[in-house]
Amino acid sequence: MNRDRLVFLVVVGLFAAVNLGLFLSGRLPANAEGVGILLAAGVSLALYSFLYKDNPLFKLAEHLYVGVVAAYELGQVWFQNMLPDVLPRGAAIYEAVRHPIDVGWALLGDPRQIVTIGIQVVPVILGLFLMTRLTGRSVWLSRISFAFIVGLGAGLVIPRRISAYVLDQLGPTIQPLWTEAGFAFSPFLILLGVVSVLIYFSFSFEHTGAVGAVSRVGIWFLMVSFGASFGYTVMARLSLLIGQLTFLLEKWLTLNLPLW
Amino acid sequence: MANLTNIDRRWIFLAVFISVLVPLLVGFHLPVKASPNVRAIYTSIDALDAKAGDTVLMSFDFGPSTLTELQPMAKAVLRHCFRKKLKVVGVTLLPEGVGIAETILSDVAAEFGATYGEDYIFLGYKAGNEVLILNMGEELRAAFSTDVRGTPLDDLTVTRPLRSLGDMAYVLDISAGYPGVEEWIQYGQERYRFKLGAGCTAVMAPDFFPFLQSGQLDGLLGGLAGAAEYETLIGQPDAAVSGMRPQSVGHVVIILFILFGNVAYFASRRGGGS
Amino acid sequence: MPFLQRTLPLILAFVAGIVGILTFYIPAASGIETEGATWYRIIFAFSMILGIHSLLSMHWRRIRRRQAGWGYSAVTWFGFLAMFIFGVWNNSHGPGAPIDLQGGGMVWLYDHIQVPAGATMFSLLAFFIASAAYRTFRARTPEAAILLVAAVVVMLGRVPIGVYLSEHVPTLSQWLMATPNMAARRGILIGVTLGAIATSLRIIFGIERAYLGEESEDV
Repeated sequence: MNRDRLVFLVVVGLFAAVNLGLFLSGRLPANAEGVGILLAAGVSLALYSFLYKDNPLFKLAEHLYVGVVAAYELGQVWFQNMLPDVLPRGAAIYEAVRHPIDVGWALLGDPRQIVTIGIQVVPVILGLFLMTRLTGRSVWLSRISFAFIVGLGAGLVIPRRISAYVLDQLGPTIQPLWTEAGFAFSPFLILLGVVSVLIYFSFSFEHTGAVGAVSRVGIWFLMVSFGASFGYTVMARLSLLIGQLTFLLEKWLTLNLPLW
Repeated sequence: MANLTNIDRRWIFLAVFISVLVPLLVGFHLPVKASPNVRAIYTSIDALDAKAGDTVLMSFDFGPSTLTELQPMAKAVLRHCFRKKLKVVGVTLLPEGVGIAETILSDVAAEFGATYGEDYIFLGYKAGNEVLILNMGEELRAAFSTDVRGTPLDDLTVTRPLRSLGDMAYVLDISAGYPGVEEWIQYGQERYRFKLGAGCTAVMAPDFFPFLQSGQLDGLLGGLAGAAEYETLIGQPDAAVSGMRPQSVGHVVIILFILFGNVAYFASRRGGGS
Repeated sequence: MPFLQRTLPLILAFVAGIVGILTFYIPAASGIETEGATWYRIIFAFSMILGIHSLLSMHWRRIRRRQAGWGYSAVTWFGFLAMFIFGVWNNSHGPGAPIDLQGGGMVWLYDHIQVPAGATMFSLLAFFIASAAYRTFRARTPEAAILLVAAVVVMLGRVPIGVYLSEHVPTLSQWLMATPNMAARRGILIGVTLGAIATSLRIIFGIERAYLGEESEDV
């Protein structure tokens, strides 16, 4: 028996023994909640086993997670989008197809209803065009739907980004550099930082001479920013580890952790 | 010295694990002081008036992968809102956020005896990402005709008087990425100019400082530390405050690793050079 | 057919894009904007089904062909079917009723597999970032040294322990974030925005056509 197999058996045996102890002592309830905590702890520890080495337990937990997430997202799409928004429209289309003469008479009486019906029906039809990608037939129909989404998305972005990300940002960048209190260092630093970073990212001209010097200043500002990002990223990752360890210690092993 | 830089990484993993485990098991007090960005959100929410019917919209735009960082801040702000008897409307732009948002809302509501429909409601999720914000902006019912339980919005005390995002006294978006704070700024705050606060993972926090300075964001809760500061402000320390112990020790350990790694590197270069 | 298959989508993208831009500047057109957004959301919901189908069919192909690791693909399908069945059951209310988030198998699986697994996956990164920092974070150049100093100051300033080293550490950290970091981020933000606007215009005017897919899909 090689070392990895031995480690695997010891870990699984230990996990089973701990859980047996927790259930027998009553610290974990012998009901759905208790089994759920056992499952959650098992999945967590299986994923953490990757730190030792990639192994079948890790792959098992990973693939189980992927399957569960896919179905949950499908469920949310069904319950919160299809059911309230699409099915009523689809039902209306179905009824119209079943009773075309009635629909025709209604339209003759009030042609403006074409617009009302169109507004209800068109998005469902465009959505169904997307489904041709599943069937593999007339896949070109899905391009019409993609064109609508991509085109509208692109159009919505432009004015909003200009307003929120350019115009609203430029104003606070250009602040008075000389006030009653004297030279305003922070506004100067902000202006210098924004301009130098923009020059650094401008590749239409060579970064030599004065432009090169300003570009170098931009790099320094970027380094401060990346350092801050690194510091915050370490904080974020450690926080996630703290949370998971807290779950394993408090909920699974039922230890009383001090608040402070 | 050069060998130390090539140490098996599993020893480093073990050191990180111990640096987080020990402070979790051993209690000691570390004072948490609120930063200006966190205090801004606290002050704004504290200034809201329940008698005037002020409503807070909270968007829970995060999933299980960032639960540890963002759930504490969501709970802390909700506790503040319920303590002030403000009405709360919950929504999420992510499908995986539905279960989390429902749990947080109902758990904190139970602490304060808040009633669903009268004091808070949960709209749920709709596909569309930022376009959902656009829909809500003009007409709330164009996006959500009912809440997540299927009740028409006009039948709920909280949402009966609300027509659009402009009717919200405060909007707090707690997000882990896309869609999130940037979308709320572009598609919501930019047009309707409501007060927008943001909670985010620590990874994203540095990106939002331009919006703080421009006033597009009222305040920012960055990561677990931001949550701990808010818990301190409301006087109810919880998971975030207790998380600051292992967070602090973990940071010191990683800094020591970095410094030691540099010392070893420069020492081995000098040794190799001579 | 080339008109329907390639030209019509380009025209549609152009019209949709122009409508998206104009409705921002014409308040009276807010109804069109709202309806367009509703259409977008409905079509987007269908597109999510495509993504899920793509994932599942990839795993199904692996099972059918008994490719390496097909057993894990079977586990994926098992997880999917378990959650799917509970979703259809919807805590005895069925798929035609609003989702029941108060209990049931769907909530149980979400709370005890999806939440802990998702949290654990990302928490693994804490170990890897520490290992990477130890092995590769070197102040080889003045720029790298600036990066290192900024990282250390921020890491100490954002946690309570920083105050024990010096009361100025949190203040310095806050200043670093609010001034030089903010300035750099703003520069990046403006630059990226100009790029995004250029890309959006390319899509609207039909220069960027990647979303149309391959010409081999033309029938």
